[in-house]
Amino acid sequence: MRWQKGSVAIGLGLIWLSWGQMSQAADDQPARETVDRVARLFISQSSIATVDMQITREDFQRKISMQFWSRGESNVLIRVRSPQEDAGTAILKVGNKTWCYLPKANRTMKMPPSMMMDSWMGSHFTLDDLVKENNLTNDYVIAASFEGKRDGVAVTEYTLTPKRAAAVVWGKITLEIRQADQMPVRQRYYDEDGKLVRELSFSEYKTVSGRLIPTRLVMRPLDKTDEKASADDGGLVDGVRRPPDQTVEQTIITYENIIFDGPISEETFSRKNLKP
Amino acid sequence: MSGRLLQLAWRNLWRNPRRTLIAMAAMGLGYAMLLFVACLMAGLRQQMIESGTGLVLSDMEVHAPDYYPDRPTHQTLGGRTGTDVSALLAAITADPRVQAASPRVYGYGLVSATHQSAGVQLLGVVPDQEPKSTVLQTRMVKGSYLTGRMPKGVVMGDKLAATIGVEVGSEIVLVTPAANGSTGNDLYTVAGTFHTGLDDMDRGLVLMSLASLQELLRLPPGRIHEVGIKLHDITTATATAAALEAQLGKTLPVRVRAWPELAPELDDYVQFNRRVTFILFFIFFLLAVMGIVNTMLMAIIERTRELGMLMAVGMRPAQVVNLIVAEAASLAGASLVLGAALGAPLLWYLQVHGLNLGGNRGAVSLAGVVVGPIWYGRQDFTTYTQAALGLAVTALVSALYPALRAARFRPTEALRKV
Repeated sequence: MRWQKGSVAIGLGLIWLSWGQMSQAADDQPARETVDRVARLFISQSSIATVDMQITREDFQRKISMQFWSRGESNVLIRVRSPQEDAGTAILKVGNKTWCYLPKANRTMKMPPSMMMDSWMGSHFTLDDLVKENNLTNDYVIAASFEGKRDGVAVTEYTLTPKRAAAVVWGKITLEIRQADQMPVRQRYYDEDGKLVRELSFSEYKTVSGRLIPTRLVMRPLDKTDEKASADDGGLVDGVRRPPDQTVEQTIITYENIIFDGPISEETFSRKNLKP
Repeated sequence: MSGRLLQLAWRNLWRNPRRTLIAMAAMGLGYAMLLFVACLMAGLRQQMIESGTGLVLSDMEVHAPDYYPDRPTHQTLGGRTGTDVSALLAAITADPRVQAASPRVYGYGLVSATHQSAGVQLLGVVPDQEPKSTVLQTRMVKGSYLTGRMPKGVVMGDKLAATIGVEVGSEIVLVTPAANGSTGNDLYTVAGTFHTGLDDMDRGLVLMSLASLQELLRLPPGRIHEVGIKLHDITTATATAAALEAQLGKTLPVRVRAWPELAPELDDYVQFNRRVTFILFFIFFLLAVMGIVNTMLMAIIERTRELGMLMAVGMRPAQVVNLIVAEAASLAGASLVLGAALGAPLLWYLQVHGLNLGGNRGAVSLAGVVVGPIWYGRQDFTTYTQAALGLAVTALVSALYPALRAARFRPTEALRKV
């Protein structure tokens, strides 16, 4: 009996290998380029932005106003301007190190990896979401998975499947891009069991410093509200469970002002500059 | 059974003092042994429960209905508006079974020193109230426990302090997601370190004053997560929890949980210990029973001739049975008194001084609780009474069989026996 088990395992292994190769082969160059371009929409030589974050949670609502400075992908500085209780809090990323300045304690602290994955300022974004370098094309196999109209808009959906060696938290990401202007519409994050965990939607596309970008990003967690939504199937919209409107948990990021490729001094990204 | 019969029985017993004393020794020593075992086992259970509940848990805990076990910061007692804490404490301590009640606030966050940081659980307590419910203040190894005079002082596990490289007097930063979504952060001073023997606590618990933690979490004074309750008698915990939940529930939505629900693994272990105790106890009991049956049987068989004589002079079989049962009863009574007299100082010693088993090795951590190194006994009068009744019944039953046999003797035959 043992040899049979062995051969089954080998058979499964072969299937898995060939499947891996198939999905590898499905990774087409145009898809890869499109996704890469979209992922780099906000990245440029330099950028200075004023960003509002409107957070709605079960237990509180708050609005945070922040200023972003960036140079390429490796240097980022974020400074919180309001509300009063968090004003002055600042994040500095240089290379792969991140520091945080805490105004009340008047201390600068190196951020441990665990905190990079936690909710940032009570929002539905993690610090990793905001400052981590984009590695989509390195970490994922990318393939177009749908083409057609969704909500009356012609879109192409790309599916990103993590490569075997990639150290990523998601089991799958899908990205919908408008065919008309190649703008992102919706990005969905699935966990390793294939369950939809959160959804990022883009809107209010504007041309800023000669670039067309979405200026409103809405992040919604979709895992927590699953039970509520499935209780009455009214929450089902194009196959996605949405929470009932009165309990929408979400974070809306709005770009109030953004300047690309303006001058930024070298000192901006120094630890000295963390303190206001 | 008349008094005269008992008198006769008692006199009969002392007609052969050596035989009676041997029987009494068998039974009395057996009883003393059972007392010893019961006392130690009850002591072990008690010690496990106390060390499991005594450090931070206490005997019962009052929470908002959805708070436990996830402990979301916003699920405070009384919801978003909070509650009148002193009125709640007064309502709880009004129950005569409650010995002490202490309010608590929980958070989780990052403790950060100059070079290292670590994720920890934050526990806010009232410095002069908490020690009435729990005993963490007795486990301090360096520095001192929280005091009202040092509002920004914190106490942490010794292993945590070593991990992040801080000493008593060092400054640390605490960072935590506050209840309103902001990032609570402030500077604190390490007032002391504790060692409990439980790794989770020694590595991951930071204790601070309730007011300081409320400030860090941006919770107003009326918002607390928990009231820890110490009872006069921990064995009433489950019943008291239900009663208190009904009582407090009239004005405030609460869940009151007794320790078996808060620490199910501890409860499992206590139940396991109870079963082991029962088996051990049963073996000791059988040993004691065998000794008693043996001596009783021998005593009656030895007296066959004497009983035959009594029947020959006109004693009726029923009277013979009565006499022997009366003898067994008085023997059992006297033996149990003897056993209790022998056992009492032993039980006292176990309760007061305990058995030092660990030598200098210190305490051991077992199933999430710290036990020893001194094994204290604990009085378990229910088991003592059951053991006494069990032995008395054994004595009577084992006397009854030879008594019935003796009653069936024909006097002439009995007399012919030696």
